[in-house]
Amino acid sequence: MSSVWLPCGDYHENYLKDQGWWQSSFIKVKMILLLAVVFLGIPFLAPEYWIGVATMVGYTSMGALGVQLLIGYTGLVTLGHAAFIAVGAYTSTMMILQFPWPQFMVDLGLAYPVSILVAGIVAGLWSVLFGLPSAKVKGFYLILTTMAAQFITVDFILTQYVSQIGGRGQAFSLPPGTIKIGPFVMETEREIYFLMAVLLTLIVIGLANLLRSKPGRAWVAIRDNDIAAEALGINIVWYKLLAFFVAGFTAGIAGAFWVSNTAALSPEHFPFFLSLWLVGVILIGGVGSIHGAIFGSIFMVVIMELLQMAVIPLAAYYPKLLVDFAYIKDAAFGLAIAGFVIYEPNGLAYRWWQIKNYFNLWPFSY
Amino acid sequence: MQQSGIEITKDLTIPKLFVSQCKKYGRNKVAMREKEFGIWIPFTWQDYYDNVKYLCLGMVSLGLKKGDKVAMIGDNRPEGLWAEMAAMCAGGIGVWLFQDCMMDEVKYIIDHSDTTFFVGETQEEVDKALAIKDSCPKLKWIIWDDPKGMRNYKQDFLMSIKKVQEKGKELDKKQPDLFEKLVSQGHGDDICLLFYTSGTTSLPKGALLSHWNMLTMGHNLMSVDPCYDTDDFVSYLPFAWIGEQMMSISCGLQIGYTLNFPEEPGTARENIREIGPHVMFAPPRLYEGMTRQVQVKYIDSTWIKKKAYEFATWVGYRVANLSFEGKKVSPGMRILNWIAYLVMQKKLKDHLGMSRLRHCYTGGAAMGPDHFRFFHALGVNLKQIYGQTEIAGISIVHRDGGVKFDTVGTPIPETEVRITDEGEIITRSPSVFQGYYKNDEATAKTLVNGWLYSGDRGFIDEDGHLVVFDRSKDVMTLRDGRPFSPQYLETRLKFSPYIQEAWVVGDKRDYVTAVMCIDYSVVGKWADERKINYTSYQELSQKPQVYDLVQKQIEEANRDLPEVARIHKFVNLYKAFDADDEELTRTSKLRRAFVENRYKDILAALYSNNEMVHMDTTITYEDGREQRIKTDLAIRKVKG
Repeated sequence: MSSVWLPCGDYHENYLKDQGWWQSSFIKVKMILLLAVVFLGIPFLAPEYWIGVATMVGYTSMGALGVQLLIGYTGLVTLGHAAFIAVGAYTSTMMILQFPWPQFMVDLGLAYPVSILVAGIVAGLWSVLFGLPSAKVKGFYLILTTMAAQFITVDFILTQYVSQIGGRGQAFSLPPGTIKIGPFVMETEREIYFLMAVLLTLIVIGLANLLRSKPGRAWVAIRDNDIAAEALGINIVWYKLLAFFVAGFTAGIAGAFWVSNTAALSPEHFPFFLSLWLVGVILIGGVGSIHGAIFGSIFMVVIMELLQMAVIPLAAYYPKLLVDFAYIKDAAFGLAIAGFVIYEPNGLAYRWWQIKNYFNLWPFSY
Repeated sequence: MQQSGIEITKDLTIPKLFVSQCKKYGRNKVAMREKEFGIWIPFTWQDYYDNVKYLCLGMVSLGLKKGDKVAMIGDNRPEGLWAEMAAMCAGGIGVWLFQDCMMDEVKYIIDHSDTTFFVGETQEEVDKALAIKDSCPKLKWIIWDDPKGMRNYKQDFLMSIKKVQEKGKELDKKQPDLFEKLVSQGHGDDICLLFYTSGTTSLPKGALLSHWNMLTMGHNLMSVDPCYDTDDFVSYLPFAWIGEQMMSISCGLQIGYTLNFPEEPGTARENIREIGPHVMFAPPRLYEGMTRQVQVKYIDSTWIKKKAYEFATWVGYRVANLSFEGKKVSPGMRILNWIAYLVMQKKLKDHLGMSRLRHCYTGGAAMGPDHFRFFHALGVNLKQIYGQTEIAGISIVHRDGGVKFDTVGTPIPETEVRITDEGEIITRSPSVFQGYYKNDEATAKTLVNGWLYSGDRGFIDEDGHLVVFDRSKDVMTLRDGRPFSPQYLETRLKFSPYIQEAWVVGDKRDYVTAVMCIDYSVVGKWADERKINYTSYQELSQKPQVYDLVQKQIEEANRDLPEVARIHKFVNLYKAFDADDEELTRTSKLRRAFVENRYKDILAALYSNNEMVHMDTTITYEDGREQRIKTDLAIRKVKG
């Protein structure tokens, strides 16, 4: 059955239409408006500071979508997602800095785009490697193995070895002009924002397409009951690894994108806290929904910005606040998660669904 | 969009029309859809043609001859219609049975109609046929459609539709032009359908209808309310009801609109909403069900939504009343009506599946004026239809803009209506049936000089509209000698969502009384909210609070009535009237004579000074099980 609420007189004669993207004219208008806001409204009307905030929302969303796929759709709880983002970021950076690119590729601005793709693939494969235990273990044990990914990748390999390449110690920085896509050099907030918007849109489309096709159905089946799914003939190891690959791939892309935003790279960008943060984002946004990952990202990033705005004027009276802000942020994150788990366990996506239902069911309540 | 330009001649038959429509539309147009596995699977006219052709030839190769009866029983599915069409193509006569028929009814009809082929949908129908096979010697073949549960049925007179169609293909290879030849042999005066009328009084009577009857009826109705071949129609009411035949065959085939079959009978309402049909014909109980659903959901709605609903219905009723009275609607009211449409009616029609509805009909029983007003207030073009099986469906209908809720409208073309000196409605048209099968006595009583005697009492009002008072035998005489229609009062009572059925008594009695059946789900919910405990219908119906509730509904209905016609006493029955207990006909009409006999104790108590009546009786479940019931029913006096 069609997953969206259709007006009377709209019906489907085949599954192609039944699973279609834009099933009613209302949805069509809604989506075009949304795209207009994302690609025209925010970059050209919003102040630069808020464009930067929107870029952060996008980066968080890209990471959260991968976590959503693993936790929300396949039921594989992961606490090592930051590792795969890091792998993507380092792959992209190392390729730009170290790879002997032919000159014409550099001139045409192909080096960075190619590195994004490779970053995705490398991160995906790295993710599969740490997904392998999922064939044997689940639940708490799987959480521990994914945490292992975090510590092995970031704290050990990246910090101790990869960061030493070139002999500069901790951080890499990317010289201006190296992050170039075709003729466009990624420098201003707006250009970076556009790159984010395009990548995020592609990831959402790709993920939504996967979810409405065979792999998506298999993932949901595994999430709901892996034994039953296997009994139905689903190769659960294969699909679990596929989920790890896709989640790792999006993480890799997010990481490669991150490089363009900072033009510098350090293992400190990918702490264990980032992995936790991304899980928090989908808990708040709503588990098992693409909307949820994006709602959660918007909520968390914007709340933190507002918190910062509130703290700065107060700091005039109590300067220690500014110093302690990092901890205030953590506390707010903890409070937000506790609050959501207690009062809105289904997340913001559920609230959104309820709002839609309120109008769909008009003038009744059920 | 294309309207039917088909000329109905005496030579035209339903199969001939079918073949020409299939040739015309071929693979380019969808003839029917069935909802399965979540989508509406389409069948083009070519698919329709192929299926019918091979099924027809298959049955011919099994020995179906011209004039043989083919009985069909099952849900509304394409296969059912194919079987009917295939039987007609071979010159056979279709007999439809209600799916929930009890064994005795099936046996009576199969035996009486001399059926040779039985087409059942599932194992359940096959079991029914097997049970009666021995007592119906003329029954030769049992054909089934759904293979579920059929694996171990090995009898050699059993065959699946698919297998029959294979046989048809074989025959087609041998004689490629046989099908067309069979179809061309038909004549408009041949009998095509044998309809067993529900019969509120006695055993079912089989009405014989010819191709000419069916086709002229459809043609004349469509000339009043044109349909188009781009229209959608949802076929979900039993094919054994003439109204469904008239929409699916008489009209549907002529116009070529698409028939849509729901997934399951239980999902019909939801499926109707998905399709959003352009035309609809249903008995009043369906509209009553919709009204009840809306009323109940309104009660449970939130404050803002309630206010929006109240505003929109207030506007809707005012506009509808103005147009009923033939007055002009002021511009201010028009604007309000437009707002009401935007905030409520549009959405409500969407919920009911009436967004695309051009006109819808109610017929087959009386519908209360309150229900009628309700739909017009919503902006739904609901019309009364009057007719009977014996006239191939309908003879009288409201015209657009001329809807009066207390009449049934004016005759369709080629139809004459008169009132006899006794006040009985008689009609004459090309669609009047050919007589009852093997029942000359009844035929002679009903069919006199081409006039069809309906047995309904009525009159023609100043606008030429027919007003149907009630069945002649049901009209009651009040204490002061005035005639009174119990049906009128019953339909008014049924507008209350809490009341499912009502039976009003009072013929030649001192006062009027009523036996009420509460609506279990609605009253049950009402009781839950008030923390009234109950375990069964029986217990719930006897709660004093429920009596208070029902009394309030009766007082409401009593209000505009003369004192003598008011309900004076009532009793809540311990069960709802049911067709399986023979209290209702299969089309949900009350069988008064039967219930009068069955509940004579209650009647006696209603006209005595007792405050209690003791019941000791049995009820029959759908699977034939019986349960004994012993209970005391309270009798309540209505004040004022």
